[in-house]
Amino acid sequence: MAYDAGAVIPAVFTILRCGLLPFGKESVLFFSRRATTVVFLSALAGACGTTAQPPVSPFVLDDFGDTIHTARPARRIVSLSPVTTELFFALGAGSRLVGRTHYDSYPAAALAVPDLGDGMLPNVEAILGVHPDLVVIYASQSNRAAAVQLRRAGVNTLAIRDDHISDFRRTVALLARATGDTLAGVAIADSVERSLAAVSARPRPARPVTVFWHVWDSPILTIGRGSYLDELVTIAGAKNIFGDLADPSPQVTLEEIVHRNPDFILVGTVTGQALRKNVLWRSIPAVREGRLLVVDTVLVGRPGVRLGEAARSLRALILKDTVR
Amino acid sequence: MRPRTWIALLVALLVAALAGLALGPVSLAPGTVWSALFGNGDANAIAIVQTLRLPRIALGIVIGAGLGVSGAALQATLRNPLAEPYLLGVSGGAAVGAVTAVALHFTSLAVLPIAAFAGAALAVTLVLLVARAAGARGDPRVLLMAGVVVGAFANAAVMVLLAGAPGDTVRGALWWMMGSLSDATWQGTRWIAVYVVIGGTLLLALGREIELLALGEDPAAALGVDVERATRRVYLAASLLAAVTVAGAGLVGFVGLVVPAIVRALGARSVRSVMLGAAIAGGALVVAADVVARTVRAPAELPLGAVTALIGVPFFLSRLRRMT
Amino acid sequence: MIRFDDVVLRYASATRPAVNGVSLDAPRGAITAIVGPNGSGKSTLVRALLGRLVPERGTISLDGIPIQTLSRLEAARRVALVPQREEPAFPLVVRDFIALGRYAHGGVWSGETADDRAAIASAAQRAGVNEYLGRRTVELSGGEWQRVRIARALAQGGDALVLDEPTAFLDVAHEMAVFELLDALAREGRAVLLVSHQLNLVARFATRIALLHAGALAAFGTPDDVMRGDLLEQVYEWPLVVSRDPAVGAPVLVPLRHRAPR
Repeated sequence: MAYDAGAVIPAVFTILRCGLLPFGKESVLFFSRRATTVVFLSALAGACGTTAQPPVSPFVLDDFGDTIHTARPARRIVSLSPVTTELFFALGAGSRLVGRTHYDSYPAAALAVPDLGDGMLPNVEAILGVHPDLVVIYASQSNRAAAVQLRRAGVNTLAIRDDHISDFRRTVALLARATGDTLAGVAIADSVERSLAAVSARPRPARPVTVFWHVWDSPILTIGRGSYLDELVTIAGAKNIFGDLADPSPQVTLEEIVHRNPDFILVGTVTGQALRKNVLWRSIPAVREGRLLVVDTVLVGRPGVRLGEAARSLRALILKDTVR
Repeated sequence: MRPRTWIALLVALLVAALAGLALGPVSLAPGTVWSALFGNGDANAIAIVQTLRLPRIALGIVIGAGLGVSGAALQATLRNPLAEPYLLGVSGGAAVGAVTAVALHFTSLAVLPIAAFAGAALAVTLVLLVARAAGARGDPRVLLMAGVVVGAFANAAVMVLLAGAPGDTVRGALWWMMGSLSDATWQGTRWIAVYVVIGGTLLLALGREIELLALGEDPAAALGVDVERATRRVYLAASLLAAVTVAGAGLVGFVGLVVPAIVRALGARSVRSVMLGAAIAGGALVVAADVVARTVRAPAELPLGAVTALIGVPFFLSRLRRMT
Repeated sequence: MIRFDDVVLRYASATRPAVNGVSLDAPRGAITAIVGPNGSGKSTLVRALLGRLVPERGTISLDGIPIQTLSRLEAARRVALVPQREEPAFPLVVRDFIALGRYAHGGVWSGETADDRAAIASAAQRAGVNEYLGRRTVELSGGEWQRVRIARALAQGGDALVLDEPTAFLDVAHEMAVFELLDALAREGRAVLLVSHQLNLVARFATRIALLHAGALAAFGTPDDVMRGDLLEQVYEWPLVVSRDPAVGAPVLVPLRHRAPR
């Protein structure tokens, strides 16, 4: 049994902190002496049992810039974003989920987790009702108030911004720390990055294939440089005609689309039909000639564990070749 | 108005139309625009000029004319230079109709205008009924108050509808309510034009009655006008005309308010000449505002209603100065 | 020409009628005046002529034709009514203003006919407003404005002229000018019916006076019959004296002080 000194010292520190922390100045030591010994020894055992865990600080800086205490692995987790829900399942912590948002549908097992409504401006009461010890929330400004309310109620709340592929590794790391399995996190991140690199490395045509991603109709919205979908398109070997716009979902005009004349238009299933028949959209050659590609929005809808698969499917869709 | 002024107005309309053809988010050389107009040259330029820009200009002229005539008629009949086409519940009712359609996921180009018109027509009827219930059908002040009441109710209804709606619905509804010519097609514009011409002709036919109503109810009755009947007809015609414009382009404010005042300032005396002048000036103004909306923040498009709202600022300032 | 037969007029939801059984007539070639204290029903009679109030009982007729059976248009061709106050929402040129009087004679799309032009010209001439045909209505003084409104009424054609307080806010000279004009118009054969507070001028110019009191007719007759001190004192509830000025040739009303001066 190798003593991992690096783990012992923080373990002791944690126990003492645990005893002292949330219970105010009066309780110097929460645990009785015997309990303290037990905990100390099991912490040592824990430190000995797992091998080569990288040293982890129990404190984590989340995307609101707030510090979250993650001494013990979370047992009852509410995940308020589709990406984090998938990641928890990938980390093998799916059984610990006690709440998800309405839109979290992958993997299928997620559907068994209680639906707590929207991830934006979430229903704090409903969340507290399932007695979580960790809530993972999407780090948007409109969610700040909810995060504050949850923390005041004594629940650890991690705010995560999971918009970009570049966010992925960090997101996985944060969640892995929360579940206490940092190695699994690293493994997932590595695997996804490898599959993305594989797609990226495939040969691409000499003249880039251009696409327009149809997000919304009135007003006309598409994806710009600020969205991970733009990154996916590039990885898939094509070029987003509005990749020069910094906004994640910029508003554009039909005229501009006609002018930039994309080779293909990426649409969801329903809009595809309507677009084909629309007099105004038919002024775009791609619509007139039926060069509309239907995207599996569920697969590409979020930068989660299936990023590799998403990139592969996009590539197959646009460049018509499959990558195993 | 002197012939010179009429010619100047027509020239302004022509200049605005030419600007609408030549300018846009995509810069095209004048030569390209000219040949595209006749179907020669680059296919994309032809698509932009003929399918996208030309119908917009036509719709803009029709909408502007309708709003100008409606505003002129209402200002004279209500004896109030601050009256405008949406006064009698038109904007509120149209908004309820449109938001309901969007909330029920009918976003096709055909349904929204019909729903908006139906909502506006319903609101106008409600206003007349409320005024009748109050006992004074012809009194402008009672009608104004009834318009305010119905408008307030409609606003509340819109807020309730939007409060429970998903983000997409809210965005679509807001975009529609801010007014835009971006859905202009030849077919749609044709219909709107027919109704605007009918409505405008009806109001012009009522021109003599309106002239007398502008003197006051007693003098008008003394001179032979059936005040109640004439007033009701003017309100219905002017409001339904406004409702048609809303069906065509959403809510475009300030045009019906400002244009009659400009035409009066240019020397138009009789109500009929004010209405005709307002038709021309209104068309020019809307087309010009649309050019600004399309080019100022290219490739994005500003809502037309936002640009026309800015006109209100110098207008009200000049009124203030004249009052003091 | 204008006849009220036992007319009862009541405003909506009022307990008492505003006009309770009034009968009077205004023949051609004479000035008939309606006088009385505030609230006695004078303006209500005018409103009924405008068609804004329908008689609960009795009939109002023009040359024997009940006014209910006439459309507003037809009524306007026979009777020209000049309401008490008028404020156009937008400035008008005087000539255009007078031309509005021809509304009852034109079709929807008809422009100005030769008849219209003649009528306007003669009306302007008659009312003495030729000098300011090109001015705008907002630029006119009180007296000029009144004459212009009378000109518009004359342009309507028709044999009857009804005026509601035509000389309110006018100074002595303008008042006299208006009354003399009305006198001339009556002599030309028109029926002139006027509502006025100006008892003294009415006494001089009117052929007959109808004195209203609380919605009923207190007297209807010549100035000499009606201008009696005891009657007027009772109706107006103020001490007064009626004298006869030889220079004037008509009864003159002089109100007395209610209390002795301090």
